[in-house]
Amino acid sequence: MTELASELAGPEFAERPPSTVITGAAGWLGQSLVSRLGSEPGRRLRCLVRDPGQADLVHGRAPDAEVVAGDLRDPSALDRLFEGLEDPTVFHAAAVIHPGSGRTRELFDVNVGGTSLVLDRARRASASRVVHVSSNSPFGFNPSRDDVFDESSPYAPVGGYGRSKMEAEQRVLQLADRGDVDAVIVRAPWFYGPNQPARQTQFFTTVRKGLFPLVGDGSRRRSMVYVDNLVEGLLRAERSQGVSGRVFWVADAEPYPMSRIMDAVKAALSRHGLAVADRQLRLPGGVERLAELVDNGLQGLGRYSQSVHVMSEMNRTIACSVDGAAEALGYRPAVAVEEGMDRSVAWCLDQGMDL
Amino acid sequence: MTADLHTEVLVVGSGAGGSITATRLAEAGLDVTVIEEGPWISPELYAPFSEAEMVTKYRHQGVNAMLGLPPIAYVEGRCVGGGTEINSGLYHRPPAAVLADWRHRYAIEDLDSDDLSRHADLVEEELSVSRVPADVPMSSDVLDRGGRALGWKVVEVPRLFRYPDGDSSWRAGVKQTMTRSFIPRAVEQGARIFPDCRVQRLVRQGDRVLGAECLRMTSTDGRRESFTVHADNVFVCAGTIQTPALLQRSGVRRNIGTSFKAHPTIKLGARFASPLDDQGFIPMHQVKEFAPDFTFGGSVSRPGYVALAMADDWTANARDIEDSERVGVYYAAIRSDGCGRVRSVRGLTSPLVSYRLTDGDLSRLARSLIHLGELLFASGAERLYPSVTNAPAVDSPRQLVKLWDAVTRTRSNLMTIHLFSSVGMGERREVTGADSHGRVWGFSNLYVNDASLLPDAPGVNPQGTIMAIASRNCERFLATR
Repeated sequence: MTELASELAGPEFAERPPSTVITGAAGWLGQSLVSRLGSEPGRRLRCLVRDPGQADLVHGRAPDAEVVAGDLRDPSALDRLFEGLEDPTVFHAAAVIHPGSGRTRELFDVNVGGTSLVLDRARRASASRVVHVSSNSPFGFNPSRDDVFDESSPYAPVGGYGRSKMEAEQRVLQLADRGDVDAVIVRAPWFYGPNQPARQTQFFTTVRKGLFPLVGDGSRRRSMVYVDNLVEGLLRAERSQGVSGRVFWVADAEPYPMSRIMDAVKAALSRHGLAVADRQLRLPGGVERLAELVDNGLQGLGRYSQSVHVMSEMNRTIACSVDGAAEALGYRPAVAVEEGMDRSVAWCLDQGMDL
Repeated sequence: MTADLHTEVLVVGSGAGGSITATRLAEAGLDVTVIEEGPWISPELYAPFSEAEMVTKYRHQGVNAMLGLPPIAYVEGRCVGGGTEINSGLYHRPPAAVLADWRHRYAIEDLDSDDLSRHADLVEEELSVSRVPADVPMSSDVLDRGGRALGWKVVEVPRLFRYPDGDSSWRAGVKQTMTRSFIPRAVEQGARIFPDCRVQRLVRQGDRVLGAECLRMTSTDGRRESFTVHADNVFVCAGTIQTPALLQRSGVRRNIGTSFKAHPTIKLGARFASPLDDQGFIPMHQVKEFAPDFTFGGSVSRPGYVALAMADDWTANARDIEDSERVGVYYAAIRSDGCGRVRSVRGLTSPLVSYRLTDGDLSRLARSLIHLGELLFASGAERLYPSVTNAPAVDSPRQLVKLWDAVTRTRSNLMTIHLFSSVGMGERREVTGADSHGRVWGFSNLYVNDASLLPDAPGVNPQGTIMAIASRNCERFLATR
């Protein structure tokens, strides 16, 4: 992936920071970020993981990284995370998307509460830049098929996750506006790429069997981001001067019609010698509305079902423009969905996964 | 038999909204009558926050609950002067950002922050709003010291206090309650104040209110007597719960009491190494680092209040309660996404009040409690007692993380003293009960002029906002009548 390892130099970029804190370091994005930063000479990495057993995931990618195991919600764990660091940069990549407890409360405790604690410690450590990883979910669905979200789109959060990420963003922006913390928000849509979690692997498997439902005619667009594109955007957000308090959408160059995403996955699977079913499960448009009603009902009761929630998004447009990041950060995504899905499938097979 | 009365302006309720309404209109030369359900008690009679004060000046002696999971305890003043007789006397101006947000979301006309500042300036002068001229009490310094140690925004909140005889110590300050400030002015201009009288219902005819059917509660021979006040104009200023209840009893229901807001509050007792010498006073410092999401402040820490704060794990804390002179009670009050409902029920004197907290609210309460705990440890606390049933005391910052899972719907003991928005003003008729100046939709001479009108929670102690808006609405009423 040498094409991504551009060196950020010039007056528009700050010097490489002496130390960097990463939360969520054992996560999907976190692992790619650790790999990338671990290869930079002279950068001290301090990584937060939830369980002590996840330290190996970090050390496998960055042998010299310091690992702190602890709960993002724990003030004393965050004290340890920032202890002894001066002017670090911070990548806050830890969050809960699909709560393991099945309760929506966890979304707020971790995504808002954890962010509040991270920002407070970053301020006390005089962090030179906090890069807060956010999401499309505080913005819901595009109001029309051809619309794209940009930096001025209004909040219209969907579900507990969307509301929790919105509240976290508001806290980041408040502290940046006050000048208490130098902070930038990077909003990322649906990821794909190496180190993917089981839910994404399951996505590949159901696509292969023709069981992933194509709702409507498949022309609805979804923005996705290849995880190394996202890392590139994050590094630019970390070092770009004069952008504190700003927000950037970081995604692949263009949103994709849902049918193109499915075709890319199927092509990648075939290329790696995996037979793909001829049939394709199709559902009439409207299923997502029913799923959305059920999802809202469940979340109103504090409960969360991943499959219902995902289905509620299937025939909706969730598309964003990366023009802001291109203009202010010089962000140029190098990988598109065909190549990215190919690498993802290769990674899965390399890990010995059964697709 | 009480004689029926006629008045140009009937004001129902004598709290922050009712008192300023009565005063502004009486001083403009109108004939004003104020009907107050509670008694008229001299503010000199009882010590602030004493048991006697609760028994005499609070509705239901201070015990009220909003139904819900968890239920939320709340208090209402029920006396001449209303909540101003029993509150902390902390004063905030209506925050400009909040006003801008309200103006936009509820299409409120003429809610100009410069114009409202003019009213706020006036109210501040009338109530001697000021900071403590000398040192603050130890319990207040705890917030200041802890907040500064963590680099958080801490403010000394101005109070509506006067310092007589040149004594500038905080102990000498006298709170400018309505019975000490506006009520005497209204009376001087000829306003009639009837304490111990409850308005049963308003008498309507078409788009007009003709007056009110009242009940005199405590005649000397123990009987109750009814009488009618005929009025040209009626201002209902009975507070966020009683205002919608009265309107509903009178058949006015559209957007009335269907959605109100509060600042749900969770408490923490903090034990220090040495005694706090000022437990009968409310700290004047507040921590605004996390505003508008939540604010920290201090409560009264008299022994009875401390015992209540520590009673959530009585068996474990009983011994510590003997050390109550070393314990201060602190609170975190949150902005809530949830909302409440007031429903008057035929045959019941009191309305049913419920409040639904969201998961985000519960999480915010837990988060605020943890940040508050950090602050109290930073200012030297050795042990914290959260108001959470069966939650063990917290002895070090390392243990704070336990509070996330302790603060649940079934175990949290919440309260609130700030209630608003049960009527709501603004031109968005589909959600508001009154227009931009408090006139109830569908009526030509019926107004609401109290906390019920604020379209949402202001995020600060609300008395300043209530009075500035009420003053503005009176000015408008006088200019257009």
